[in-house]
This record gives sequence, structure tokens and C-alpha cells, in this order.
Amino acid sequence: MTETRAVEAWTLEPLERFVAESGARLTLLMTPAGQVLAQHGFMRAVDVMSAAALGAAIVASTGEIARMLDQHEFAALNHQGVQHGIFLGAFDTPRGGLLALVVYGPDSSAGLVQLFFEELARGLVAATPAEEQPKAVLAANFEEELDRSLASLFGR
Amino acid sequence: MSTVFQRVLDNITRVRGVRGAMLVAGEDGLIVAESLMEGVRGNAVAALAASLQKRFRQAMEAAAVGMPHFLHLQGEDGTLIIVPAPDGMLVVAVGAPDMNVGLVRLEMLRAAESIS
Amino acid sequence: MASDIKAMSAELARDPQSVVFLELGEALRRRGQLEAATGVVLGGLEHHSELVEAHDLYARLLVDAGDFRRAQQVWSGVLERSPRHLEAHKGLGFLAFRESDLETALEHLELALAADPTDPSVVRGLQTVRGAAAEAAVETAAETAAAAEEVAGEDRIFAGLEGAEHGLLLMDDRGRVLGGRLLGAQGEDVSDAVAAFLAGAAQEAERTARMLGLGEWRWLVAEGPEGNVYVTPPTAETLLLILRDRSVPSGRLAMLAERAGDVARQWLERQQL
Repeated sequence: MTETRAVEAWTLEPLERFVAESGARLTLLMTPAGQVLAQHGFMRAVDVMSAAALGAAIVASTGEIARMLDQHEFAALNHQGVQHGIFLGAFDTPRGGLLALVVYGPDSSAGLVQLFFEELARGLVAATPAEEQPKAVLAANFEEELDRSLASLFGR
Repeated sequence: MSTVFQRVLDNITRVRGVRGAMLVAGEDGLIVAESLMEGVRGNAVAALAASLQKRFRQAMEAAAVGMPHFLHLQGEDGTLIIVPAPDGMLVVAVGAPDMNVGLVRLEMLRAAESIS
Repeated sequence: MASDIKAMSAELARDPQSVVFLELGEALRRRGQLEAATGVVLGGLEHHSELVEAHDLYARLLVDAGDFRRAQQVWSGVLERSPRHLEAHKGLGFLAFRESDLETALEHLELALAADPTDPSVVRGLQTVRGAAAEAAVETAAETAAAAEEVAGEDRIFAGLEGAEHGLLLMDDRGRVLGGRLLGAQGEDVSDAVAAFLAGAAQEAERTARMLGLGEWRWLVAEGPEGNVYVTPPTAETLLLILRDRSVPSGRLAMLAERAGDVARQWLERQQL
């Protein structure tokens, strides 16, 4: 069984519960800017970074399409493949919006992932710690910040 | 919702004790059509019923009795019934523990037939 | 494949700390280049000693190389870090089976099944080990009358009940057969396979009932083209399954389940005394 790891410790318990209940193979929890808060199932840092960037880009572009159509932003997207499905969902927390990118296999389903995604969102809202001064990610400390995040996500 | 779907679901929910009926995409666990009383979580019923049917299908295949065509889960406080339609859709009903299962079963089998 | 290996080797050469070593090691192992794969994994472990997947891969390489003792140590280490690690339980189950330690093999495979009830290799492994365990039990029974009495006692949990020889099964919530027997359409024993899948199905029934507000689940009836199945938990940790042909109505199954449930509870109580 692969492990669940988090940069932000408060995300760990809701994410572990989500993974156990939904049967998700891979999960990334991130900000709309693509900064990763927690992950489950990824083996390589480069995969996490690529998936986060792509997930954030998909949400940004569909959000833009929704804006052009004068619609509310799409809350979730689902792509069903032959063996695996990909789910991308957005939700609000007291600390701002978050995204979840989920890959699931034939032992789960879009319905189960969506159902427990709602619980994940509720769990994370409840677990959000009290507001603290947001840290600006500056170019100067970006690399250091990234290294720290990857170290947390892969336990090194 | 299509009138055919609405009619078959109405026939099920008309039975006393039934709190909701739905058509569910079996592989995805997503709602196709629903007729639910207030308080019934349609997305949860759809996702869990599909997953339950999938898991029991494996056990029944291992037991060499074939694909289940009727599943009845009895809880202390309620009942869940699942009837797979031939095209992968599921007819699902949820209701009181003492609902008339015989009648519900009949309507659900008819529904499965008519939506195929 | 070769180009993948080349690309991964290049990536690793560029960045010796990259976790690509895992994928590269696995690819080399699949190509049978065990020595090269082992070198890559050991090199990777120098930078990522905490990565349980790397230890798991190393253990599988040790098995490929025939160093079972060392593989066992490595997998045991994996379980210390990650007690529900599926591959480590599967590996240790295999090693124990190889050593004819069926009890340990069963224990690890059941834990593997609990980690992923849908993994078909675990189900197949469990079937094999349980088959071997049953054979061993029969052999032992032939050797000692006392053991024979015990084995026969388990088979006779449902003695006297209708279908006791072919359509009644008592199992624990981890998919382990406790007593009774199920026979398939050709008369083959399907008890272990059904029990393994049913453990996952019963977990799903419990979750469904809980999440939909149906209260505690009492029983489940499933009707198939070749027969009807009735499942109920006689105690919190066990499941009772009754399989009958389609001519037996579900009401009669319920009555039979009630009687069989009483018998199972009494038997379980006796086991705890």
C-alpha cells in the first residue's frame, strides 16, 4: 500500500479517509496555483509537479471558458478512461480555494469518488487551522520552498 | 427527465414505504434519473448501490450462480433494492424496513425491462 | 522499453537523487537484468532509505536472486514502516508458503486481502495456500485421531441442517473460512474464492447501510440465474452465507439462515471457551 503524505499536516487525516473510502489510486491536493498540499500514491516528484501543473491549468482554462459563457465555474470534471478515471474537483476553504486531482481504477467509480470528494471538502474545511499571515512565495525562496514541499511529500 | 424514466420511477415510488427510486449508471455509480423524497441523498444511494452490486457480482460469479439480477439489502431501519437492467443501468429503490418488497420487486423488474 | 530504460538512466545520471531509480530498477528487473537492477536500487536507497517501495523492489530482486532469507528481512522492515503494505504481505506470504509455513502464509495473505480486497493475485494466492492447508489438515488427521476429530468437528458445524454439505459457509470478516462448504456448478469446492470476495462485499454492505441511514445491516439476498445467495452476519466478526438453487424462495432461505445463525453462534461460543 502506498503512503499518503502532506506538506500541510492538517490535510492528512481528511485525505487518508478519502483515499480509504473512495479507493482512489492517486490523489493530489493543491491550490489553484498548483502548489501541492498533500499527495497519495505518487512515486516520483516529477510526476507530482507535472500533475499539479496540468490540473491547475485545466481548472484555470475551464474556469475561463465558464467566465466567457457567463456561467459559474465548473465545480468538477471527470474523464472516464477504459481502465482508469480522472476526477478534478474544486472547493472553497477558509484559507481559499483548493483543488483535488484524483485517479481511480475499476475497483472504484466516478460516483464513489464524487461522493467522498464532498466529504473530503467538508473534512478539510473543518480541519483548516486558524488564519495565519499568508506567506508570499517569492522567486528568491521559491526553490527552497519547493524542496521543502517535495521533502514532505516523499518523506525525505 | 424523460417521460419514460419518470413513469417507471413513479410506478416504484407509488408503493407504500418507498422513499425513493433511481436509475443509476452501473459502472459509474452516477444518477441517470431520480424520484426521491426529501432527505434521501441521491448521489450516495447511486454510488454505494453501484459499488455494492459490483462487489456482490464478483462473489456470485465465484459461487458460479451468475450475475445477480436482484439484490436486497435489509437494514434495521431501511431497505435497499437493486435490479440491474440488461444495458448496464441499475434500477435502485430505497425505503422503510417494512416496505412491500414483493410489489417493489415487481415494479423494478418491469422498470428494468422497459428501459432496456 | 529499451528507449525508456535509456531515458531513465540518463535522468538518473543527471540527477543521482532522482526517484526515477525505482522505475528504472523495475524495468531492468522485468528484462531479467537482475544485477543491473539491484545496483540501481541499492544506489537509490543510499539517497532514499525511507522509501518503502524501494525496499519492496529490493526484496523482490532478492527473491529473483534466490536470497529468500534476506528478502524476508527486507520485507519485514517494510512492514515495520508501513504495516499494511500490500506487496510486503504478499511477498512474506509467498516466502512462508515456500517454507511450508502455511499458518504464517495465510496470515500475511489475509492481511494483504484486507489491504486490497480486489487484488486477484491475493485471492488466487489465498486459494492456493488454503488448498494446501486443507490437504495438510487431512494428512495430519490421518496421522492422529485427535486431529482428525477436530477437523471433522469443523466440517460438522452445520451437521443436520439442510444443505450443510454444499451450501452453507461460515467465514470471518477477513475472508477466512471457519466452517461449512460451498460447491460450484460442477461440484468443485468454491468456498475459499467466495469467502475472499464476500469479505469485501460485506464491508460494502456495512458501509452502504451506515451511510444511507439504513441502520445496522441484517442480511442481503442476491438472486442469480443459477441460484440464490443469502448473507447475514451472525456475529460482528463473522458472516454466514447460504447458497441454494433458484427453486428455494428467499423466505425459506431466511428461515434456514436463522437456524444456521444460531448454530454458528453456539459453535463460536464453544471455540472461545
